[in-house]
Amino acid sequence: MAGLELLSDQGYRIDGRKATELRKVQARMGVFAQADGSAYLEQGNTKALAVVYGPHEMRGSRSRTLHDRAVINCQYSMATFSTAERKRRPHGDRKSTEMSLHLKQTFEAAVMTQLYPRSQIDIYVKILQSDGGNYSVCVNAATLAVIDAGIPMRDYVCACTVGFVDETPLADLCYAEEGGGVSSLALALLPRGGQIALLQMDARLHQDHLETLMEAAMTACKGVSKVLDEVVRQHLQEVSVLTGE
Amino acid sequence: MFSCLKHKVGEVLLPGDEFSFQPEDTISLTDTVKPEKVICGPGLRRSGDRLLVSKSGVLRTKQPNMFWVDSQQKRYVPAKGETVIGIVTVKSGDVFKVDCGGSEQASLSYLAFEGATKRNRPNVQVGDLVFSQFVIANKDMEPELVCVDSSGRANGMGVFGGGGLLFRVSLGLIRRLLAPQSPLRAELQQLFPHELVIGMNGRLWVKASSVQQTLIIANLLESCENMTAEQRRQLFRRAAQGAL
Amino acid sequence: MKDTPLANCERDFLLKAIEEKKRLDGRQTYDYRKIKITFGTDYGCCFVDLGKTRVMAQVSCEIVTPKENRPNEGIMFFNIELSPMASPAFEQGRQSELSVNLNRQLERCLRNSKCIDTESLCVVSGEKVWQIRVDIHMLNHDGNLMDAASIAAITALYHFKRPDVGIQGEEVTVYPPEERDPIPLSIYHMPISVSFSFFQQGTYLLVDPCEREERVMDGLLMIAMNKHREICSIQSSGGIMLLKEQVMRCSKIASVKVSEITELITKALENDKKARKAGGRFGFAESMPQERITALKKDETPVEMTDVTETAYDIVQKAEAPPQTVPSPVLPVPGMGQVGLGLQNSWGLEDDEEEEEEDDDSVEEQEEKVTKMEVEQHRKEQSSGDVVEISDSEEEEVIILQPEIPNRGPKNAGSSSDQKGAAKSKKRQTK
Repeated sequence: MAGLELLSDQGYRIDGRKATELRKVQARMGVFAQADGSAYLEQGNTKALAVVYGPHEMRGSRSRTLHDRAVINCQYSMATFSTAERKRRPHGDRKSTEMSLHLKQTFEAAVMTQLYPRSQIDIYVKILQSDGGNYSVCVNAATLAVIDAGIPMRDYVCACTVGFVDETPLADLCYAEEGGGVSSLALALLPRGGQIALLQMDARLHQDHLETLMEAAMTACKGVSKVLDEVVRQHLQEVSVLTGE
Repeated sequence: MFSCLKHKVGEVLLPGDEFSFQPEDTISLTDTVKPEKVICGPGLRRSGDRLLVSKSGVLRTKQPNMFWVDSQQKRYVPAKGETVIGIVTVKSGDVFKVDCGGSEQASLSYLAFEGATKRNRPNVQVGDLVFSQFVIANKDMEPELVCVDSSGRANGMGVFGGGGLLFRVSLGLIRRLLAPQSPLRAELQQLFPHELVIGMNGRLWVKASSVQQTLIIANLLESCENMTAEQRRQLFRRAAQGAL
Repeated sequence: MKDTPLANCERDFLLKAIEEKKRLDGRQTYDYRKIKITFGTDYGCCFVDLGKTRVMAQVSCEIVTPKENRPNEGIMFFNIELSPMASPAFEQGRQSELSVNLNRQLERCLRNSKCIDTESLCVVSGEKVWQIRVDIHMLNHDGNLMDAASIAAITALYHFKRPDVGIQGEEVTVYPPEERDPIPLSIYHMPISVSFSFFQQGTYLLVDPCEREERVMDGLLMIAMNKHREICSIQSSGGIMLLKEQVMRCSKIASVKVSEITELITKALENDKKARKAGGRFGFAESMPQERITALKKDETPVEMTDVTETAYDIVQKAEAPPQTVPSPVLPVPGMGQVGLGLQNSWGLEDDEEEEEEDDDSVEEQEEKVTKMEVEQHRKEQSSGDVVEISDSEEEEVIILQPEIPNRGPKNAGSSSDQKGAAKSKKRQTK
């Protein structure tokens, strides 16, 4: 929190938003013809592309087939041009593997895998431009892609990153806010039941503030879910017009 | 040979020790020479006219002329005729693949259950426990299990019902439990009603009337491994009086 | 190497036991296993035993050029090795999911929380800084590797002393430990991670899962805190759905546990410092004759760390219990395992056993009986919950030793004879 003032006295952040305001979300579904499901999501300046293949036959190691569920295989990668400095190693490093694991675990909780035993569902997410909240944007994009592929899920999976500055929770952090040593909490939520699919927090935060921070995160996620819901309905309307009566 | 084997009963033997046939100092021409028959159990191997020790342990005997070396190990190697507790891992075609703790998974045919026919398949799922016997278990072939004995009857073998706890112990403890007049079993009997299945691959399955009692038996058996008889007796006594 | 598959009945049994709030080794739901910390001869080497899980951490340092965007900060590097020695499921060389998970969690717990003052590791700004490397090896996997690794890492960091450095103009001299005493690292706080495992879609939770419990769990929540009640990192893994209330509850439990573990670590560090100062033997040489190096060895002396846990929860101090244990079952035979050895367990075994032993003494003396009765009543009240649970079997006559009845001697005999009667009617099959 040295240097840049993340929260001004009037309650404005660096990009002019208020503390609980989310960035502008724009999304398109069905962007690729080849994939079973795809989606493109922009949240402020962070842009992500998600593609879903499946459920299809188990590829690679047959031994990992589960006899009663589908296996979800996620891969997270960042484009080399996505950050300010060109990324030398877009995937395979520890951070990407960890993100892939988190995505996998989030969707294993949400997708109804018991309906497709001995099969595999692939989710690929790529960050085209990274401006903070990478994980959340990926999750939101992937949710839309899974819906586009027609795979049944228990609920929308919405994610948001919140930070804690000056006793106020800030919703939907951008890159400048994330870097300043601010305690940030990434939360993936199934809004209807209020169930948390993934919870991740870095940096020091006093225990007493945890509750407020989580509340703020959950409200932000519910906001995101409303937006996603609208996007899906609009897309379905467009598609149904094309398929005709 | 018989006499020198008898001498060493109860002593620790190491691989490399051997027993050779010692000719008597004086051979009587008039007395009939009684042929000596010595039955070698696990750990003893015959090589020409010598008897070699191949496993380290204590030499034990059973009347009239059976000798073997009582060794201790944790990893099971399948041997023909032994009854084991296996976990079904794969159901494919006409066979089940069963994990019995050895180097390979053993195969168990659908038809090797009592009353099983091509139409009447046994009700076994992946992850179930089966109590079965090895019919083929040598180093050159894939081990095979069956759940019937030679006359076609189950004789206590087959798939387990639900409940109970499976846990692992060393092979030495299993043998102690299975010994004919095992003091361990007698002491267990004093505790409380329970069902105990002993697999010779080091796996034990126990079921008592409540979770608590099952846990007590399981922990008692696991801790019996390293106890002297006296300690064990005290422990069981405490359990018997305290556990109720 | 493949790990033994989990049988359905094991899974069912474990879940059923958890529903009845019973764990395999007799702990309570919020109990940690016994934690033992030993140090090696070098500074920065430590072994941590969490029940049967063994972990070794080693800290080393060297001078390197700093990163471009942080020219005056030292570098911290963490590495967790899952050696195949620990479990047949680990493979050498391959970076399995678990290894990535553990590495990232440890990094986040220790690095992002800024527990080490990296600016103090700077020697010459922009050119030379210390790189501190923490290597953690798993020696035996019996569940909850994350907690053991975090305890080992932070203890090793506290224990570590780096060589002193002198700067004269352009020259930098690193003094070996013989010339100048090495300096400890400057650490702000001690983040310790606590793992919670969830079962049955989040209905039941356990602290410090052992390996079997880990196999049947739905998911894991790891909370890293320090003793000032600051949360350093939270991570949920496995596909579980959590509710906010569960997370809050876990964080409260975590703060209690962390303060206990922090005390334990500080005590261990002090003991080691004292031993080194006194010139006594320390490190591995010390551990050898007492056979503390060997795996799966159980101590006879109940060094009760679970006591510390229980004082937080139990009303009555159970800490008196161990000294009153009759020493004869606790024979100093190496490698002896005792049921619930050293652990206060919830089976009611040790409690009733102590009562019974006291009965033998108290038959003769009246006054002693009174005081012992009181102590027993104490214990009986507090463990009455345990006793009641056991007696739900309707198959046999269960006589619970009533705390109010004064003369216990004959009653004892009566109960044991009833025991034998029940034993006759019990069925037991061996196959």
